[in-house]
Amino acid sequence: MPANTAITPSTLSQRDLPWQIDWDIHTCTLCGRCTAVCPVNAIEFGTFRKRTLFTPPLGLSDNRSQGLQHKPSSSSSIYYGIRQRTDPAYACIGCAMCNMVCPNNAIRPLKSESTDLLRFHRDRGGQPRTRGGRRNSDDSVLDQIKFMRISMLTDPALDAGRHEFELRTLIGRVLPPAEALKTQREKGWMPPVREIYPLMIGSMSFGALSPNMWEGLQMGVAYLNEELGMPVRMCTGEGGCPPRLLRSRFMKYVILQIASGYFGWDEIVHAIPHMKEDPCAVEIKYGQGAKPGDGGLLQWHKVNQLIAAIRGVPPGVSLPSPPTHQTKYSIEEAVAKMIQSMSMAWGFRVPVYPKISASSTSLAVLNNLTRNPYAAGLAIDGEDGGTGAAYNVSMNHMGHPIASNLRDCYLNLVKLGKQNELPIIAGGGTGKNGNLAANAAALIMLGASAVQIGKYVMQAASGCLGSEGDRCNICNIGRCPKGITSQDPRLYRRLDPEQVAERVVDMYVGFDTELKKIVAPLGRSTSLPIGMSDALGIADRSAAERLQIKYVV
Amino acid sequence: MSKAKTVHIAGKDEAGRVSSRILEERIQEAVRGGACNLEITAFGQHGIGGRIFQPQGKPVSVQITGSPGQRTGSMGSPGTTIEIHGPASDDIGWLNAGAEIVVHGYATNGACNAMAQGKVWVGGNIGSRGMTMTKYNPRFAHPELWVLGSAGDYFAEFMAGGIAVICGHEAQDPTNVLGYRPCVGMVGGRIFFRGPVHGYSQADAKLVPISDEDWTWLSENMVLFLGRIKRKRLLKRLTVREEWQCIVARTPMEKVGGKRRSMAQFHGEVWDKELGRGGLIGDLTTLDRSPIPLITTGNLRRYVPIWEHRKYLAPCQSACPTGMPVQERWRLIREGKVDEAVDVALAFTPFPASICGYLCPHLCMQGCTKNVAGNLQPVDISFLGKKGVSSKPPKLPELSGTRVAVIGGGPAGISVAWQLRLKGHDTWVYDLEKVLGGKMATAIPEQRIPKEVLDAEIDRVRQVLPHVHLQQNLTHKEFEQLKADFDYVVIATGAQKPRTIPIPGAERIIPALTFLKNAKLDNQPVGKRLVVIGAGNVGCDVATEAHRLGAEEITLIDIQEPASFGEERKEAERAGAIFRYPCFTREITAEGVVLTTGEVIPADTVVISIGDLPDLGFLPETIATDRGFVLVNENNQTADPQVFAIGDIVKPGLLTDAIGAGRRAAKVIDEMAAGKRPLVDTAWLKDYSIEYSETSERIDYSRMTLEYYDPRITEYNDMEHCASQCSSCGSCMDCGLCDAVCPTAAIERKDLGNGKYERIPNPDKCIGCGFCGRCCPCGVWALMENTPMG
Repeated sequence: MPANTAITPSTLSQRDLPWQIDWDIHTCTLCGRCTAVCPVNAIEFGTFRKRTLFTPPLGLSDNRSQGLQHKPSSSSSIYYGIRQRTDPAYACIGCAMCNMVCPNNAIRPLKSESTDLLRFHRDRGGQPRTRGGRRNSDDSVLDQIKFMRISMLTDPALDAGRHEFELRTLIGRVLPPAEALKTQREKGWMPPVREIYPLMIGSMSFGALSPNMWEGLQMGVAYLNEELGMPVRMCTGEGGCPPRLLRSRFMKYVILQIASGYFGWDEIVHAIPHMKEDPCAVEIKYGQGAKPGDGGLLQWHKVNQLIAAIRGVPPGVSLPSPPTHQTKYSIEEAVAKMIQSMSMAWGFRVPVYPKISASSTSLAVLNNLTRNPYAAGLAIDGEDGGTGAAYNVSMNHMGHPIASNLRDCYLNLVKLGKQNELPIIAGGGTGKNGNLAANAAALIMLGASAVQIGKYVMQAASGCLGSEGDRCNICNIGRCPKGITSQDPRLYRRLDPEQVAERVVDMYVGFDTELKKIVAPLGRSTSLPIGMSDALGIADRSAAERLQIKYVV
Repeated sequence: MSKAKTVHIAGKDEAGRVSSRILEERIQEAVRGGACNLEITAFGQHGIGGRIFQPQGKPVSVQITGSPGQRTGSMGSPGTTIEIHGPASDDIGWLNAGAEIVVHGYATNGACNAMAQGKVWVGGNIGSRGMTMTKYNPRFAHPELWVLGSAGDYFAEFMAGGIAVICGHEAQDPTNVLGYRPCVGMVGGRIFFRGPVHGYSQADAKLVPISDEDWTWLSENMVLFLGRIKRKRLLKRLTVREEWQCIVARTPMEKVGGKRRSMAQFHGEVWDKELGRGGLIGDLTTLDRSPIPLITTGNLRRYVPIWEHRKYLAPCQSACPTGMPVQERWRLIREGKVDEAVDVALAFTPFPASICGYLCPHLCMQGCTKNVAGNLQPVDISFLGKKGVSSKPPKLPELSGTRVAVIGGGPAGISVAWQLRLKGHDTWVYDLEKVLGGKMATAIPEQRIPKEVLDAEIDRVRQVLPHVHLQQNLTHKEFEQLKADFDYVVIATGAQKPRTIPIPGAERIIPALTFLKNAKLDNQPVGKRLVVIGAGNVGCDVATEAHRLGAEEITLIDIQEPASFGEERKEAERAGAIFRYPCFTREITAEGVVLTTGEVIPADTVVISIGDLPDLGFLPETIATDRGFVLVNENNQTADPQVFAIGDIVKPGLLTDAIGAGRRAAKVIDEMAAGKRPLVDTAWLKDYSIEYSETSERIDYSRMTLEYYDPRITEYNDMEHCASQCSSCGSCMDCGLCDAVCPTAAIERKDLGNGKYERIPNPDKCIGCGFCGRCCPCGVWALMENTPMG
């Protein structure tokens, strides 16, 4: 900074920032790519002045009888390079796109090893920090869970490689056998049930995601269904659904979400008579794990022509999704009337289930659903869920971990004898450290009928740079360097939908193998080991006790 | 023992069933004893006939009747022939290492599991998991399994070598001779089969045509097989070549890639076909969504550099109330146009030398980017200013017919008159004093402005303004007359009425203005001790003059921290003046100044210098005033639209403020006269090759790059030195740094003729890195976010 510039409380040095740019003058070619690609303008070209001093040797000459041989002198030269900006508004986010484009590996962000001071200055103008991404915590109970009931000459040990598997799950209200038979006999209403793959792509809206990302995911899902016979389903998130998709046969791979903003739903209603297929299900969003009890606002400048068309609004208006549905007065009313309305839309042929943030109130919702014949399940999103935009404080400090919440709910169903009747879909931080299959299997054995993933898909299918170490995490500002969460064609065209689709397929096929590698040694192949908690162990006595699984050391 | 002697070993004796261990001991004992023909009546014993190593290496025949147990012939050795006269139990030929085994009946599950050498001939069907995990060891011949009937489920799992022949004769399931899911994990070997199948693991194996060589092998060995199982009469039926098929394992290379459609194919053939052209949202947008690289050019750049040459005012010009385009003058110097650089000042001020060279506190230098943003020495305008003393009067245009009277011949009055005359209007100046120039001529000490410089500039003013009327004390009536005689009247009489304080002994106080005027005429006695009440810049001038006139102890007192600065303050300090504050005066006595504290500061002379107020006595009531000053609008117009007021009569200010106000008022009057308010006309500047704007904003200080300037330079030698060290804020100086710095050589300099040029980044090359803006000393490049898309 200039020597005579006044400092302010928010004047920070590079040392104070969480990410510090390490630039190498020797290998830099000054090609300009790093500054051109930086999503937040954290780096810029720098003109530097370097002064060199020349001190002659001591000695006797030039008529100088003592001291230096000549007069000392100094000279200055200019050099150029890359400078990191220290203004909090332009702090480096550690995405490392600079490194990615650097031909000589001359630049990279390094994570500060000490506590950064930037965190105390991210509320300028009184606006607390908001961000996209993650909770920034590596902790994961799911990662600690081991599958330790391996069939060793006991049950038929299955070979994941050659054995035939039917890893499917049911979404929908499953009637107990006697009731089912009676219904059949009396030609009564049989609740719709879908047999689907137990790993679902959770709700990420068209708008939160870029068009190329969203299309890539949908294409990958369609491929899995039609080329590989894997009945994978994806939830739209709140933001409507492109009209063409609504009217295509791919609709059956889609779970439509309705949330407090009801965006795009009039378009969906208009499309109903033209639908070739019913949607897989309808998810009613009451909450999400990343920001429980908080809503969102898609800012007006992000509502471009395309988003507006899909959401059924004029461009350039802000779109609020309030924390609550405006007509929600009690669990009974909200759940009953919403489920009934959504079921009615497709003649009670489509399963309808609510999605809530994991919370100590989850049990109340669940108990209510058990008494509602139309409720097709309950999706619970744990505190580790990701988000496109949330207040820091919501993301980091609000919510309930999924493991114990799911466990409580499942055991409650067991108590009611309804554990095979009302599926629980769990999500929130599954695979956050890369252990997708292990985490998903743990959730299933704790009682989940299916698992929803979001962040993992972003990372695996599109190369999201976010991490639990607060890297990147700018999903909320429309500048996603990978084009995943941006509506700017200059950014989202970095993403090829075909390649996203291909990665979705790779991810699922790989996951499928891993899941088999877990369930086969447990002797399961044709039915998902839902609630098979005797297979689980953990080296944490309190966690073992809380989850009612084995304590193993 | 004779070679032909047959040894009978019974699986059951008087004691009952012989255990597998005992039976094995008996068999091994017989073989060690030289037996080559064994007949065994089996009773469910395990592993009969395997591991037989005849001491002389002679072949050994094992005939089995009864019911052999599991793994008959397991770990069979070369030279052993086993014939089971009936069906075989599980795992026949398990881990066979060379035995030949004939089964006259069916074999159950696991036939030939892990077989590596030898042959197994089965005269019926086999159960599940036949021919699994079989090997081929290149040191030996391929193992073979011949089955007259069909294979059960999971046939040939993980088969890694050997040959299986499934004849499909009287198959257990005539619709499927290889069972459910055969060949999973198969990596080697081949399977000849005859009859229908329900598929096999396509990922691991493939059908291949039967070559002539294969067929020869198969048909020749079929004879052997049928002979062994005593079904020779089937030969003809089983050697119809068209009925046979062959499965071989895929090579590792063949397993790579699948039969799956590629995603590109899926995209085109399935996705877009179902959804329509353009895929998911092809109906909603025509935007190109095809992939692009990270580094883009043209329309796909995120940022675009704009050459904002002369879009903003340089800070020096912006800071100067006169509006002097300082950086343009330094450019002229750099271009070698020294005279032009000096003379152009006359377009802005009649006093370039007196004010810019000497009297001005140089707001341009205070505002200079180098000073504000770089902690560097600002370039020194006074070099240029001083040169202006010898500038010739500018060429004057013909008179327009508009006549303007200016009351007051100080800097403000002269400035407005000068500017009006330069625009062609006949301007008459009236002043109270004997000399023209206002306080510059009458009050400011000569120490600060050499007389010959001011005289020279006043002379030049006189040449431009012939109608100067001095010693004119205007009255109300005369003012009205001026209004009648002239089209416009400008009041620029300044502040002449000293402010004072109502304290005892006030009559002993000399007002600063009076003191300075007298002093300038060497007509002011001061005594040895002087106290100045009010330590501002005028007070400093008083101190300086008093020192010149012989005062020895000079004290300036103020009620607050003195506001004086610059040359005035320095001169006063050089004169030995002492500054004291806060000091509140109670009264003035013969001894001196008595403070409210009771302290007496001895003084022979007491001067008060707390500002002057305008004398508004001659103004009619139509001219509105406020707290002693004339009220004007932003155009310096008074409540009477024909009358303008500028300078200290409106608001106390610097000389340069007065000059600037004169210039602005002149412009307004000129435009009103021409009937074209509020148009901006700078045509009168056309004689000078500078570009000038007054309407733009000051350039942001952060845009200039100052690293090129040496912080060790704290003074300048001459105009040329200054010119070389001016950063030319907001105006491109054509240094070419950006051209050289641009990583893609995108910046193109286009010559527009007449020494003009522009720089345009070639969009096909520019990647929007912003390097140009961050190397530019002048700050002319701005990096703008590209036009939003989509």
